[in-house]
Amino acid sequence: MVAAAGAPMASIIPDPTEIVHLPPPEVHAETVEGPGVSHGDVVLDIRDLRTYFYTYDGVVRALDGVSFKLRRQETLGLAGETGCGKSVTAFSVLRLIPDPPGRIVSGKILFRGADLLWGLEREAKVKPIKKTGRVKVSRRFRRIKAAAARMMAVRGHGISMIFQEPSQAMNPVFPVYDQIGETLALHRGQHIIDQLLNATPDSPELLPAIERLTEAVRSHASNERLEELAAAVGNATNLPSFGTQAFYAARTALTSSPDALTIELRSALRRLRLSGLQRSYLKYRRRQTEFIDQLRETYMREMQEGQSHRLLEARSRRRSFANRWSHPQFAVPFVHRRAEKPLKDELFWQTVALLEGVQIANPVRVARCYPFELSGGMIQRVMIAMALSSEPTVLIADEPTTALDVTIQAQILDLMRDLKHRIGTSTLLITHDLAVLAEVADRICIMYAGNIVENAPVMNLFSNPLHPYTRGLLASIPRVDQPDKRLESIPGSVPNLITPPSGCRFHPRCPYAMPVCKETRPPMTDEGNGHQVACFLYHGPAVVE
Amino acid sequence: MVDEPKETKLRVRRRPNPRLDQLRRTWYFFRRNTLAMIGLGILIFFVILYVVSFFYAAPATQLETYQATNGSLPTPTAIFTQVCTYQQGESPPGPNCYLTPVGMPSVIGPTATLRTASLGPLPFGSLTLNPPGQIFYNTFDGLVKGTQWSLTISVGVVVSGAFIGILLGIVSGYYGGVVDEVIMRLTDIFLSVPGLLLVIITLAVFAPSVTNLWTRVGLVIAAFVVVWWPSYARIVRSQVLVVREQRYVEAAKASGAQGGRILRKHILPNSIYPVFVQMSLDVGTVPLLIAAIVFIGFQVFTTRSFPEWGTITAFSAQPDVLASFITNCQSASALGLGCTFPWWQFFFPGLTLFLFAISVSFFADGLRDALDPRLRR
Amino acid sequence: MRLWIYVVRRILLIVPVIIGVMTITFVLVNALPVSQRLVSYYGPSPRLSYDPVIPCSKLTGNPSTLGNCTNPAYTRGVAALGLDKPIPVQWAIYIGNSLTGHWGYVGNGTGVTQSVPITRGQPVVTVLGWFLPYTLELAGLSLLLILIIAIPIGNLSAVNRNRPVDQAARVLSFSGYAMPAFLLGSVLLMAFVLLLGGSSGLSPFCHGQSSYTDLTGSWPPPQCFPGQLYPTWLQSGAISSPTGFPTVDAAYHGLWFMALDTLIRILIPAFVIAYGTVALLLRFVRNSMLEVLNLDFVRTARAKGLPEKTVVKKHAGRNSLNVTITVLGLTFAGFIGGFPIIEQVFQLNGVGRMIAYSVTLTPYDFGMIFGSTILFTLLVVSANIIVDVLYAFLDPRVRLG
Repeated sequence: MVAAAGAPMASIIPDPTEIVHLPPPEVHAETVEGPGVSHGDVVLDIRDLRTYFYTYDGVVRALDGVSFKLRRQETLGLAGETGCGKSVTAFSVLRLIPDPPGRIVSGKILFRGADLLWGLEREAKVKPIKKTGRVKVSRRFRRIKAAAARMMAVRGHGISMIFQEPSQAMNPVFPVYDQIGETLALHRGQHIIDQLLNATPDSPELLPAIERLTEAVRSHASNERLEELAAAVGNATNLPSFGTQAFYAARTALTSSPDALTIELRSALRRLRLSGLQRSYLKYRRRQTEFIDQLRETYMREMQEGQSHRLLEARSRRRSFANRWSHPQFAVPFVHRRAEKPLKDELFWQTVALLEGVQIANPVRVARCYPFELSGGMIQRVMIAMALSSEPTVLIADEPTTALDVTIQAQILDLMRDLKHRIGTSTLLITHDLAVLAEVADRICIMYAGNIVENAPVMNLFSNPLHPYTRGLLASIPRVDQPDKRLESIPGSVPNLITPPSGCRFHPRCPYAMPVCKETRPPMTDEGNGHQVACFLYHGPAVVE
Repeated sequence: MVDEPKETKLRVRRRPNPRLDQLRRTWYFFRRNTLAMIGLGILIFFVILYVVSFFYAAPATQLETYQATNGSLPTPTAIFTQVCTYQQGESPPGPNCYLTPVGMPSVIGPTATLRTASLGPLPFGSLTLNPPGQIFYNTFDGLVKGTQWSLTISVGVVVSGAFIGILLGIVSGYYGGVVDEVIMRLTDIFLSVPGLLLVIITLAVFAPSVTNLWTRVGLVIAAFVVVWWPSYARIVRSQVLVVREQRYVEAAKASGAQGGRILRKHILPNSIYPVFVQMSLDVGTVPLLIAAIVFIGFQVFTTRSFPEWGTITAFSAQPDVLASFITNCQSASALGLGCTFPWWQFFFPGLTLFLFAISVSFFADGLRDALDPRLRR
Repeated sequence: MRLWIYVVRRILLIVPVIIGVMTITFVLVNALPVSQRLVSYYGPSPRLSYDPVIPCSKLTGNPSTLGNCTNPAYTRGVAALGLDKPIPVQWAIYIGNSLTGHWGYVGNGTGVTQSVPITRGQPVVTVLGWFLPYTLELAGLSLLLILIIAIPIGNLSAVNRNRPVDQAARVLSFSGYAMPAFLLGSVLLMAFVLLLGGSSGLSPFCHGQSSYTDLTGSWPPPQCFPGQLYPTWLQSGAISSPTGFPTVDAAYHGLWFMALDTLIRILIPAFVIAYGTVALLLRFVRNSMLEVLNLDFVRTARAKGLPEKTVVKKHAGRNSLNVTITVLGLTFAGFIGGFPIIEQVFQLNGVGRMIAYSVTLTPYDFGMIFGSTILFTLLVVSANIIVDVLYAFLDPRVRLG
């Protein structure tokens, strides 16, 4: 148990029975109670996920049986070296794997009671060709397309994702407000349109509220006071985004002329006074969003119940879909532009409010910018705003700070932590940097070559790393409190995923390797305190899938 | 239970030649493209035909035989010519006669002749008849013999153009500076003039003074090359600009390699792949262009009835000929005579041009997809 | 940089190109024997010879005079055309003239004037001005057809890579490339002529005329419109007035039916041209769309939950348009060269047909040849500039970056 029979006692990696004492981590008052305690229900359950890539050089087994659970309001970190399959896991959840050449071969991803991978077996058939040793994959493209369409139910809505290179992640030819507005319209369109339709630009409390705001500007009141009064203006019109607009108008009026503020706001009210054409356009857009919501619901139900007959129902409903051709007057360019102006303005100011929420200093300017005019950190904030705008249950962050420098990294992480508490999203944070996870995560999964090797609450992982790979990783990190510590490296290199090692994939590099490690893959065992590890060195009860 | 991948047997394979592997990989992707394989098949057929065409000599035309035995030629009526074709040795005139309107072009070839194709060392017969300049020969014979000329000219144009283009492109891309600017301006100039026009004008200026057939062919090739080389130079130059910045070039320079050696061993082999695709595509374009030039009215070769695909096709599709066909047919129906439209005169030559060009384009497209690193699976 | 600075810079870059092209034509001109140039300008004369030396007997009229004398007609002609000056001076004069628009005169008695008598002795610029609008109309309609065909099919091909739609589109585009344009044009023309005319070959629209005249030529023949209905300027042999564009002219004069007729006459030729050019464009649209579909922001758009149709049309579409416009500019250049063929088949009054006549009907008309070469070069170059400006306009990075 302590040392493998016949294997030498390695001096590189410390004795597994020795407990490494780490300095106590910073305790955040708002973090949930204690490590290792599950906070309730599981929101995302990934079981035995296998994703292979079929290439000319062979079958790349990128994910070979990945399983973990993400709980409500938990931040789960997925850590590992480059090429171990972390990003592939994230893409597999949202089914963003490009289907030739990749394929999710098997597995279950349970979200809100639905199996997101339902229907997987029927999408393609893999047959080995004996002569050449290759495999032939026959894909049924219609089914694959249908599966991707079904994902519309969760993408952005229940599960959001932010990506690694923020400067490449946004479309360069559309400005920021257009791209965020698109997301808002897609996920909260109904709510926004209802608000707009019910706005009261002629409410009696409005003018006095504007007067009070103007007074405050004249007397150079503080930002908080201005915010308060602007919010009051918004309440008077029943439209919070008008409050945002009032606030920024007031801010600019501080430096220019305060007297013009009233006139400016009165003319800004024009966007709330909807003409008949605009009203009918909004109703038409509302029908569209209703339809999309219904479609999402249908897809979700399909995946929950595992039946496809509802698709036919949706198809018949699609025939009554309000589209361009049922309202041709909206297709004419000039008419279209006039009709959608109120909606576009509304989306603009809601975008500004959203950007405020991610602590961007000058949201009105940023909203009007093109992505290439913004720095990486700024774009990443915008992406976070976009991802969280629909209040998703799960946020997947794929190496969000890798492309940014350290100071910005800290800001983004603070932001994410803050938002997590405010909105309560569960986060799957993917990174290779354990230090980041130490700060932000509640639980960490360590991945190696397409397998999860250790899954533990963050405190337990750092204080008591069980898997030899984790120990190797931690031993290679420089420590402030041990300035003379040797930086150990793990011998060997990452295995080729086309021909991975048999049994435990780490065994060629593991100093504790035993004969059984070469033959069988170690099951995930529960070592108590919520700490799971996949290694033959430990004999806890197997984790039941 | 988790499935266990078996321990992979390490097959020790000697890999001395990465180029060979790349070739094998390219062939693998090419093979899986159905259209490209069809194109390749048709191209192989044309290559065989090319070899055959050098030895092919058509049987003497039947009309000549008619003249030899009877001492006179069929007299044309006012609007029609009676054209009779028959097997060699058959006594004329056989049942294979048809009326074709006067002015209809100079190749004949009803189905009978297609059945009597024979390969072998026979003299190639051609003949001048009334009206002057109109030469009768067999469509089939003309096409087979034409393979020789069309393919030689195409390949000559493409290879010479590519040679000059690659040379100038590499020099321009690698050395940069003034040389690059000058060559780029030159390509700009040549690419701004519509190619067809430049070829026609060059030929119009120089061709009347050249009467020897082989010199004329050389002139035609040269005229095309003048128009063609800039696109190759451009392609190669853009590739060289990319290759030049690669690490292995820097490494070669660091280990002391001189300019010429770098060019030869590193830059050249890596820059010319896109050119292969363009070359194969252009081989198909050249016969089409020759056809276009002849159609416009400019006689490219020494005689009007030169057996070359483009010439044959163009002469059979002249607009005035077609117009006169219609008017003559109207008059014929007034007279109560039938009117045969010799569709084979432009159908088979057109089909040959079409098949050649389309097989070449399938092949080039398949090659492009197989060579493109991003599109590989 | 600002947009207009960019435009000015682009325009300035083409000056050396234009001078280069003119130099090439100049070189080609000077490769010709001078006598041919004289023939082209003055027209073939039964009495005079343009050779530099003639037997003296011809001069004196006395058959017994021996020897060769210099031909005064030759000397006069050379002096009149300025061909006795040294070559560099001639080049400078030629460039100067070309840049200022003095492109010479259409010769007397050349092939062009024999087939289109109205051009005799006119300045080349004027003649080209008469015929250019017809070519531009044809080019415009072809461009429209190409855009309508190539972009949707290209996008469809990219989205369904290597599936049956893609393969079919590939075959379609290659057949367009492989088919000789004149053959397709002739076959279509014949087919429609026979379709319209039936066995008698008479036109259903125009009493007494062959159905051939229904589809060829830029204008219907005058016999179709007896009396005042036929425009007077056409009756006197002019090409078109006042704007030069046939459809616009007919509409301007209120002859709506004739305007429609001119449009229909260029429909089949435009289709033939489009069919041939779509090949190149289709591959390019497909490949650029494939490239764009692999970019990061497309993945972000999908992850946002946008329906696939929106992702392709809105996000990917705008980004791939840049490359497509570049190729469009290049093909515009390409098919200007192809027009001679189509215009010849359909007998349209375009610049292409005039060029064809000037290089095929002897004696060659060198004024026309070189004038039209410069014209085509200018068209190609300006098409490229427009493309570059459009590119800068569409991509905000070029504008603001």
